[in-house]
Amino acid sequence: MEQNRFAAAFKQNAIWLVFIIEIAIFAYFNPKFLSLPNIINISRQVSYYGIASIGMTFVILIAGIDLSIASIVVLVNVVCAYLMMNMGWNMWLAIIVSIVMATLIGILNGFMVSTIGIPAIIATFASQTIFRGLAYILSGGLPIPDVLRYAPEVGLNGNPTLSFFARWTLNHWSIFPKTGIGLIPVCAIIMVICFAIGSFILNKSYFGRYFYAIGGNEEAAELSGIRVSKMKYLIYALSGFFAGLAGIIVLSRTGSAQASSLVGFEFEVITCVVLGGVSVAGGIGHMSGVIAGVLIIGSLKSGMVMMNVSEYTQMVVQGLVLAIAVGFDCFSKKRNAS
Amino acid sequence: MYEIDAKFREYFNELDPAKRLELLDALTDDEDTQLLRRLYSERYIKEKDHWLWRAICLQMLYGQWRLFKSSRNKEAMGILRELHTEDDNCFLYHEYRNVARRYLSTCKCSGYASSLMGLKTASDDEKIIKACLDIWQMSEGIARQENLRDNMKLWIKAFYDELVNYSSICRQEYERLCKHYISPSY
Repeated sequence: MEQNRFAAAFKQNAIWLVFIIEIAIFAYFNPKFLSLPNIINISRQVSYYGIASIGMTFVILIAGIDLSIASIVVLVNVVCAYLMMNMGWNMWLAIIVSIVMATLIGILNGFMVSTIGIPAIIATFASQTIFRGLAYILSGGLPIPDVLRYAPEVGLNGNPTLSFFARWTLNHWSIFPKTGIGLIPVCAIIMVICFAIGSFILNKSYFGRYFYAIGGNEEAAELSGIRVSKMKYLIYALSGFFAGLAGIIVLSRTGSAQASSLVGFEFEVITCVVLGGVSVAGGIGHMSGVIAGVLIIGSLKSGMVMMNVSEYTQMVVQGLVLAIAVGFDCFSKKRNAS
Repeated sequence: MYEIDAKFREYFNELDPAKRLELLDALTDDEDTQLLRRLYSERYIKEKDHWLWRAICLQMLYGQWRLFKSSRNKEAMGILRELHTEDDNCFLYHEYRNVARRYLSTCKCSGYASSLMGLKTASDDEKIIKACLDIWQMSEGIARQENLRDNMKLWIKAFYDELVNYSSICRQEYERLCKHYISPSY
């Protein structure tokens, strides 16, 4: 029995072991991999993946999918930059409007999936195309640059120094300010807060239970009194919200909005979520696994860059990771059934 | 052992709450009917099948990670108290079977046990195997995990009896699950 218990515990936490092994391999080939600047860089890089993956976790838990998140991120990018740079809006107002818009797009996805009954993959693929197109229309196909130099007090192009918006992600928050120990980028703190909220929703709230119940057996969930349709609206809205927030982080990181950016981002987020143990069949998964999945993908990308692996090879590797993660999930399901 | 009067059979075979209420109203008002009414009012709250929900909650507790194991056990005990699983009552047994049957009635739907984000629908055999797993987890599985077999005897028996009636392969599958049970370490 003890052996069985050990095996179960091992299986539960295997994803973290994969993460540690990955770190050890990259650190062996390049000692700078574990340097503080690189760790800070990874934490910045994973922040937007992490935030977007929270919404995607909810969606996959109900056996759905959201292919529109990359377009939502890009549209939020473009709209927020457009409002600040071209219309001179206040930064916070632009951010709030952009995130509300992202949430509304999520609700639209919910409407198509839940009320009309379009399969999630088709509905969100349609959204993906529509909103990527809108981003192109709004930006005229050109990048909106210099967002980091936006200074609301003097208006557009008034102040070349970094604005609060830029400081938001470029600066660090230090646990011990005078010593500089414990440097954590602000965007990583936002990601941690979002993960805490996501974990709370999944583990402590009734909504989380509803998500699991819908993913496990939608009909039974409906019979037991869960308003499945409304829950789907909520879940896609949350997915849109978190994608919107990720869009703001991306904008503050890159300093320019470009409609052609982040192609394939949704698949990277799906990889993080599935790698973290969220079953593509729905109803199974937890947030701690997703955190591990996000860290693995973030480290993998950073490690490959440090080892001078070409961008094309990186795409191959990421595709393989997604295939292995989904394949492993399907294989486990088959093995359990036999 | 849990034989019931023929007049109650139709009531316990019916799955729709509204029709069950009609059948209940048609019965003569005696002590048995009053007990049935009490069970009915506890089970269906504001048109929601509360007991079915609690069965699903038990399934969710199976294998769920918690920082403190005791909190999971406490929650399971709370659910069992609501379901009166420690009582040994003929009506209760049939009510539990009705809960299990209502759950199993959803296991033939097209979306049930589908995989790959709903893209791949499950075959009939896959649906039955998943139904066995679900029923096992919400009865025997959670009882073993939380050491609550004594508290859940009636519940386990009712769910098992209903499951083996569902399909010919269910008995074998249930036994396989019992044999290969691995106690979660958390």
